[in-house]
Amino acid sequence: MNRKANIRQVLLNAPYTLWAAIFVVVPLLFVAYYAFTDSGGNFTLENLSNLSRYANVFKKSLLYSVIATIITLFIAYPFAYFMSKRSANVQRVQMMLVMLPMWMNLLIRTYSWTLILERNGIINNFLELFGIEPLKLIGTPGAVILGMIYNYLPYMILPIYTVLSKIDVSILEAAEDLGCNSFNKFRRVVLPLSISGVVSGIVMVFVPSVSTFYISQKLGSESEWLIGDNIEYLIKSTTDGMNVAAALSLVLMIIILASMAIMNRFADSSDGGMIV
Amino acid sequence: MKTFGKLFTFLVYLFLYAPLLVMIIFSFNEAASTSVFTGFSLHWYGELLNKRQIGEALQNTLILASLSSITATLIGTLAALGIYHMKKKAVVKAYMTVTNIPMMNPDIITGVSLMLLFVFVGKTLGMQDSLGFGTLLIAHITFNIPYVILNVLPKLRQTDPHLLEAALDLGCTPVKAFIKVVLPAISSGIVSGLIMAFTLSLDDFVISYYTTGSDFQTLPTLIYSITKKPVKPYIYALFSIIFFVILLMLVLMNVMQAKSDRKNARKNS
Amino acid sequence: MEKNNKLIELKNIVVEFDGERVIDDMSLYIGDGEFVTLLGCSGCGKTTTLRVIAGFIQPQSGEVFFDSKNINGVPPYKRSVNTIFQRYALFPNYNVYDNIAFGLRVNKVPEKEIEQRVSEMLKLVNLQGFEKRSITKLSGGQQQRVAIARAVINRPKVLLLDEPLAALDLKLRKDMQKELKNIQRQLGITFIYVTHDQEEALSMSDTVVVMHEGKIQQIGKPVDIYNEPKNAFVADFIGESNIIDGVMEDDFKVKLDGKSFECLDKGFAKGEPVDVVIRPEDVDIVPAGQGMLRGVIKSVTFRGVHFEILIDVQDFMWMIQTTDEYKEGQEVDLKIDPDAIHIMKKSKYSGQFGDYSTYSDEMDALSEITEEDEE
Repeated sequence: MNRKANIRQVLLNAPYTLWAAIFVVVPLLFVAYYAFTDSGGNFTLENLSNLSRYANVFKKSLLYSVIATIITLFIAYPFAYFMSKRSANVQRVQMMLVMLPMWMNLLIRTYSWTLILERNGIINNFLELFGIEPLKLIGTPGAVILGMIYNYLPYMILPIYTVLSKIDVSILEAAEDLGCNSFNKFRRVVLPLSISGVVSGIVMVFVPSVSTFYISQKLGSESEWLIGDNIEYLIKSTTDGMNVAAALSLVLMIIILASMAIMNRFADSSDGGMIV
Repeated sequence: MKTFGKLFTFLVYLFLYAPLLVMIIFSFNEAASTSVFTGFSLHWYGELLNKRQIGEALQNTLILASLSSITATLIGTLAALGIYHMKKKAVVKAYMTVTNIPMMNPDIITGVSLMLLFVFVGKTLGMQDSLGFGTLLIAHITFNIPYVILNVLPKLRQTDPHLLEAALDLGCTPVKAFIKVVLPAISSGIVSGLIMAFTLSLDDFVISYYTTGSDFQTLPTLIYSITKKPVKPYIYALFSIIFFVILLMLVLMNVMQAKSDRKNARKNS
Repeated sequence: MEKNNKLIELKNIVVEFDGERVIDDMSLYIGDGEFVTLLGCSGCGKTTTLRVIAGFIQPQSGEVFFDSKNINGVPPYKRSVNTIFQRYALFPNYNVYDNIAFGLRVNKVPEKEIEQRVSEMLKLVNLQGFEKRSITKLSGGQQQRVAIARAVINRPKVLLLDEPLAALDLKLRKDMQKELKNIQRQLGITFIYVTHDQEEALSMSDTVVVMHEGKIQQIGKPVDIYNEPKNAFVADFIGESNIIDGVMEDDFKVKLDGKSFECLDKGFAKGEPVDVVIRPEDVDIVPAGQGMLRGVIKSVTFRGVHFEILIDVQDFMWMIQTTDEYKEGQEVDLKIDPDAIHIMKKSKYSGQFGDYSTYSDEMDALSEITEEDEE
């Protein structure tokens, strides 16, 4: 029986173990391998030391995605909060309306903004009616950040809404009973209880933002190129850029791991930290 | 506060839908212009039908999504069962960490890392171009499996562990007991894992972009290459159709959900 | 009821989980048609014993015999025992009828016979008319009945019941106790029943097996276990007991609290230290000066049928149950008849139980928690 159980266990685990090893773990090792070798396969630190050329790109990527994440949070939180207060049926419809744009492909969502922001797009046409000179909207850092906010806003709304809607009404009543006014109730009860949703929302917005390449290409100009664009360019448009692209990917991965570790620590300490 | 809440909600929805609505409106525009609406026409939809490339890409996307989601559901369900039966906590934790990697890693890293592997293996085997349908399928299965596991595992953990024992006790062999008792209990998790995997596969652009070759285009990779150049409004017709298909699916899902909710409410009362 | 053959026999069973011994060298036999209860608190190994018999757990060492045949390694689905699980484990994807018919269908019994046997079962457990009902729409008591029918329909030689009534409320539990006993009499099969409820064990069983820390503490008829507990653990676990240190002076003579008492026990060495058990209902309170031991009443609690009175006698807190009311602070004497005294050999449990100075374990646990908090 015990041996049979062991055989069954092996049969269940073997396919996934093999699959995950070959197609999840090994590829990550290949990123490291390519980052530390030249195109001939010899060990080198050149790829990584050359990354100083990309310092500005990293700074820009971080800056844009942090700004986008913060703005997204400030739009999503009140939105989710108001939504959680509505009746069940309204919540259901609202939820559907949040999901719909999310289910549209990223490319379509991003591309649709060009119609509005273009040199002869909706906004500039509208301004022209009043004789105002057309503005340069597309190809600016603002447009890139807007694209990030637009694309990932639902990813911030959903986790926050989920935790907010799960807060037990009796907990809120208890807070009122113990003398909290609306502000205190929010600060001391609702906010601390929703931190887990905020943290996962931040991760879900920040990670794709900092690694994007399509948004910055469509809505930005070449000077708004981010890490993702450079990786894409090196891989798709050069013949010998694989190793540098791998080095860029490696550093990007480290940045994301580090920021997630920070967020997780923040989430862990939030129980005590936020209530003060 | 209440009116503020409503106004705020409205503005956010306006923000979310304005670009999509503009796109839909101009898909019905007579002229090729995307700035001036000259008159209603279905002319771009007609043109869309003539694009063989798009039909082909759609077919590719559906084949890929079906194959990858079914394979991922098989492997993922087995894996969830395996993880569920693991005794050592540390081993479970290791498996869950690996499972989380494709979900937490940005798509570009998943895509690039798989591409590096495929290119390396291809080069070693002396292949000209190793990227194509096969590599794309592997990539999609890889990022789909975690979602299946995360849908099935909680269902397993919710299932009374004595159910299996009860079936054994009543004379079922372990395999029979699994099919008659455990499988029905976790089937909803398997189905939602399958659906999730299917839609993720349909929607994926980034990972596909790095792991497919020039001879196999999915709808998203085709859209990418079309939107790289200045585009004609037939592409808006395509986007609008996608929009309405998703809308229809969401409405259907909501109606079904509402129905089952009402059923449950009646059951509990 | 009891026949002398051994239907089930456990020989030197050892079960370990992660290096921890859950069953420690346990041997036990169970006769055909017996109602045996494994009694003990959680973690004592009673459920594990049941699962060893059912075949869900393989013992590390030791042998399990069924009808004198070794069944180690026989999988659960090939054993002619059936189990009633603690939370019933009914299959939510089947209705009442299909749940009950499950075992017969697995064994390919013809549908016609199944139909007849299911309806017999529904009659046995009083669920006629519930055939098509969904499991989720049944009350706890009804689910319990389905679980019984589902197990019994397979005509097992032994029915294993793992705390089957634990999830029911008190009144329903009492009814089901009677009903289970009736079912067992009607079917004439062996019941092995696991519970932590001593009242349940005493009122239903032919034989009670008291377990603690993976070991059998005592096996016997309910009356014997109550009246002749083997050690301080059993005395404390079954009913309330005052357990006092004593010394045997001679056969039929024991000394406790400095006084000599007559008793009915013999065969101990002269001067041997022993545990003396005196049940609370067997002590009479008499006015000071008329009894054998002098004490002060510390608390009086009304329990409905009787008062529960704690009396401090030389720093040992006695519990006494009486129908008369007394006042706190009153000085009284205790009168103990020879047949109220039961002598036990000293064991590893001596001194741990039977002094009501620390009244309940729950209070102990609470005070432990506050101590930990203070640290």
